Order: sequence, then C-alpha cells, then structure tokens
Amino acid sequence: MELSSLVQNVLNGLAIGSVYAIFALGYTLIFSILGIINFAHGAVFTLGAYFTYTLISGQFENNGLLRGLNLFPQGSPLSGSAWGFAISALVGALAAGLVGVIIERLAFRPMRTRSADPLLALVSSLGVALVIVNLIQILVGAESYSFPEGIYGDLPPALLFHMGEKVIIIRTVQVIIFAVSMVLLLILGYVIGRTRTGKALRAVAENPGTASLLGISVDRFIVITFFLAGLLGGLAGTLVGSSFGIAGPYFGVTYGLKGLAVIVLGGLGSIPGAVVGGLVIGLAEAFVPAEYSAYKEAVAFALLFVILLVRPQGLLGRAQIQKV
Amino acid sequence: MDFLQQYGFLIATMIQQGLLGLSLYAPLMAGQLSLASPGFYALGGYLAAVMLTNPAFEGWRSALGYGIYPLTWILAALACGLLGVVVGVPALRLRGIYLALATIALVEILRVLALNLSITGGAVGLFGIPQAFGFVDRWQYLWLFLPLLILTLLFFRQLSKSRTGRAFRAIREDELAADAMGVPPTRYKVLAFVIGAVLAGIVGSMSAPFLNTWNAKQGTFDASIAYLAYVLIGGSRSMWGPLVGGALLSALPELLRSLADWRLVINGLVLVVASLYLPQGIVGSLSPKPKPPKRPTPPPVSEGPSGPPYTSETL
Repeated sequence: MELSSLVQNVLNGLAIGSVYAIFALGYTLIFSILGIINFAHGAVFTLGAYFTYTLISGQFENNGLLRGLNLFPQGSPLSGSAWGFAISALVGALAAGLVGVIIERLAFRPMRTRSADPLLALVSSLGVALVIVNLIQILVGAESYSFPEGIYGDLPPALLFHMGEKVIIIRTVQVIIFAVSMVLLLILGYVIGRTRTGKALRAVAENPGTASLLGISVDRFIVITFFLAGLLGGLAGTLVGSSFGIAGPYFGVTYGLKGLAVIVLGGLGSIPGAVVGGLVIGLAEAFVPAEYSAYKEAVAFALLFVILLVRPQGLLGRAQIQKV
Repeated sequence: MDFLQQYGFLIATMIQQGLLGLSLYAPLMAGQLSLASPGFYALGGYLAAVMLTNPAFEGWRSALGYGIYPLTWILAALACGLLGVVVGVPALRLRGIYLALATIALVEILRVLALNLSITGGAVGLFGIPQAFGFVDRWQYLWLFLPLLILTLLFFRQLSKSRTGRAFRAIREDELAADAMGVPPTRYKVLAFVIGAVLAGIVGSMSAPFLNTWNAKQGTFDASIAYLAYVLIGGSRSMWGPLVGGALLSALPELLRSLADWRLVINGLVLVVASLYLPQGIVGSLSPKPKPPKRPTPPPVSEGPSGPPYTSETL
C-alpha cells in the first residue's frame, strides 16, 4: 500500500473509530455499574440524530404523523453556522440523555428493585428499543433524512494537503467528529478519574453494596450513568447523522451491534478499552480494500469472534474470576 | 376447512416460531445462552432454497422427485450440526454474556456472507422456491411442522429424563460442581449447542418452501432477540415455555393487525411488561413447583448485582 493511501485510511479510520468509541462508552458505563448491556442504546443513538435534525431543520416532509410539519418557517435560527450546529448537537445530546434516564426508570429500575434475572432486564431494554424505534417510524416515517447543506456554516469544505503526488482529503466533518470525540473523552476521563462524582461512580461500579454503606446514593449514580450514556450515544448519533444522513428509524441498530463488538474487543466495562476498541475497529474497517467493501460490515464481528477466542476478557479487560 | 384456510398459515407460523424458540432452549438446558439459532435457521433455509432452485441441482430434483425435500432436511441437519461443532468447541469456552456476544457475531458474519455471495442471491435472496410435496395451501405445512414439533417434544422429554439431560441440568445449576462430580462440561455444552443448531437448521430447510422466498433477513440479530424473548416470556425452565412464548409472541402482531402501525410498539411494551410481571415466564408462573434448595440469598434491593453477571447460575 502506498504511503498516501495509508495516511488517508488511517485518518478515515480514526474519524469513524472515534465515533464508535464515544458510542460504545455508553454501553461500557452502564455495564460497569449494573453488569447489564442496555440494548436500547442503539435507539438512543437514533434519537440523538433526530433531535438535532429537528432543531436544525425542523421539517418533516416525507411520511408519518408529523408529515408536513415545519417548525421554522423562516428557516431555523440554528442552521447555517458552526455555533448553531454545536448548540443543536448539545441540546440533542441532552435530550438523548434524558431518554436514557427514562429508559432506566422503565426498563431497569423495576428489575433492580425486584432483583430479577439480569436477562429479563435485557429483554425489557429490547422492548423499550422496539417501542422507541417504532414510535419514530410512526412519527416521521421510515425514510432517511439528510442534514441541510452547510450546517457547519462556511467552514472550508475539506482540508487538503499534498503528499508526494497524491492529494490527501480530509472532510471537515471528519475533523469535527474526531476533535469532538477526543475532547469528550478527555472530559469524561477527567470526571471519572479526578472528581468526587467520578470517585463515587467508580465505587458504585466496584461494589454497590459497600458503596451504599459508605453513604453513596447508588440509585442517584445509576441515573447519572444512564444520563451520561444517553448523552454520549445521542451525540454519536448526531455526528454520524451529520456525516452520512440519518438512515431511518433503524439507523442505530447496526451501530448498536458494532458498539457491542467495540466494548468486548476493548474489554467489557473498561473505559479506555472502549476507546481502544472503537479506534481499532474504525481503523480495521478503513483498511478493507475497496473491492471487498461489501464485507466491511463483518469486520467488527470477525474481530470480535477472534478476540473472544484468544482473549475473552478483551484487550484491556480484567480476567473474570470464577467463583468456586 | 374454512378455519384452516383462514388461520392455517398463522397456526403453522406459530408452531414454526415455537420450534425456533425450542432451538434456543436446547443450549439453555445446559445453561448456555446462545443467540446463534437464526444463523443456523438461515443456513438450513439457504441450503434447501439452493437445492430447490439452483439449476446445478436440476438432475437431483428430477431423479428424486418429492424425495428432494427430506434430503434437504437431512443435509441441513448435517451442515448445521457440523457448523455447530466447529463453532461450538471453541466458543463454548466462553461463559454467559460472552458466549451470547460471540454467537451474535456468528449470526452477523453469516448474514454478511449471505448478502454478498452469488449462490445465495445476494441482497435479493432466492425466490420462487417450489412448495414442498406440491402443497397448494400454506396450512398444509402443518403436516411438516406438527410432526416435527411432536418429535422434538418427545425427544426433549426423553432427553431430560436421560443421563445426558441430568448432566445438562447439573451444568446449568452449577458448572464447577458438575465438573467436580465427573460430568465433562465442554462435551455436554457442545452437545446441547449442536442439538439446538440441528433443530434450527431443519426448521429452516422446511421454512424455505413455506415462505417461498429466502433472503438475508431470515437470520438477523432481531431474530435472535425474538427467539430469546420467546424463551424468557414463555418460561425457560420447561420445554413448554419456549413453545408457548413462540406461539403467543408470533401471533401477537397478527392479532393486533387492526392496530396497524402501532402493533410493533405494543409488541415492545408487552416485552417490557411481561419481563416485569412474569419473571418465571408464562409457563413458569402457571406451574408452581417446590423450590430447589436456595443458594445464598441475593443482596437486598438497590445494591445492584453481585458477582459476575450472566453466569450460568442466573439462568
């Protein structure tokens, strides 16, 4: 492979990989606290994209109950500038975070208070996902939506630089995605590693019983976790949506599954693991040769399968100790 | 006859889905949560669809006549059994949620292959699959699914009474203790996994003519989840549970047909409510049994789970 295409692939891979990482962090946060995989996370991803789309465009033209609705007849005040996009993305992510909290209330808390089989929480979170995805379909139809042109304002359309004879093109969206993801990861790393909240979260993850004896309100931190997870998932949805458009209500399903591959690859419940896993899968996908691009979708799962057989605890995970 | 004309297809679908629920129940008998059934179901179906439509098998079809159908069942069973062993031996080293994720990966890989190979018809899939034994009406597939169901239930009943079935239960209750008592866990876990794979493969090979077309939508993650829901909503402790769950949940969208767009929303709500109020599943709640000797009580409310999640003892 030539050096220029190598560089291009690496950059593409990092951009998409960083989105996988922040999406997968939502799974990992919840898994590390509750030991349960929240299968509604993909639906939150989809919702985040739709929330931001609504703020920026406000128009639902194709189908569904909201057909013909136009929230901003004069054009959205948030559309057309980088700040407008940032604000919409933030509000969209906050809304997705709230949905995360609602999911916790509906699907997880009742299970916890009954100390039910964790598998039932899994089925109930799937039920919630089914409800969300189909509500979206009823409201706005099954068609895909594209974010309006120029949502970032008049940023240059692409970064270009020459390398030998080849031109390396990095789309602005990719730079934004990568930068936003890295900033988020740094903030999250700081919050969890350095602040009191983070310390309490880690205590709850380590041992909920002991944490509650030490005066930490476990329920409150579980709500915080779901809020953070929803926020990250929703933001990932917006970032992917702004890059490829929102591919209908089932948009998040593929990412939901890939996110699972990411967290297992990195190590279930490990935060740095989710980041590493996301980047590894993003890079691996970017290096699939164009003539085999149809098989790209399988790369994450092939990697997942291999890593499970070779190192079941994942790249950065701790080995599970079996009770005797 | 009118009744069969009208509801025969639905009843056949209910039995078919019940059988798929049972294919996920088989590995659960040995405490293994595998979500691979849709992969084997799709594989069995593709095998039958290819043999029944591909020009390369024209000679076989004219030579065997209706005998081609039983042949597709046998070949599907063999292929799925073989794949089950090949995948099962390494994968069953994994526990709980890790095994579930590995089997999800298997289903996804098979799906992507089916979408891109030419023999499977790519994204369009295979269509115009001739009706089994020249059946005219869909309800006639009851002649295939009902006997298969009865055979499967008899098999599971005999199995659970046998030494193998007791070994499965021992592993389900406590794998380490079973191992210590001289029950080799890996061998029995793979066996349980393969039983499920073979059943799903046979159901697939019967379903290809039943559905008339076969494509990559047959083996998806959604299907994995649907079958898991059959087992958990129906009850995971008895072979009747997956059957009842499969029949009810596959009939639900049909019963809600008048609600059109809302039926999948209601389906989702049913999953949430049922997992809340019927933690033992429908069959489990109907048959109160003397509780087995209690393990150390789980920690009280709001302390969250303890110990490794999704280990075999949570099932």
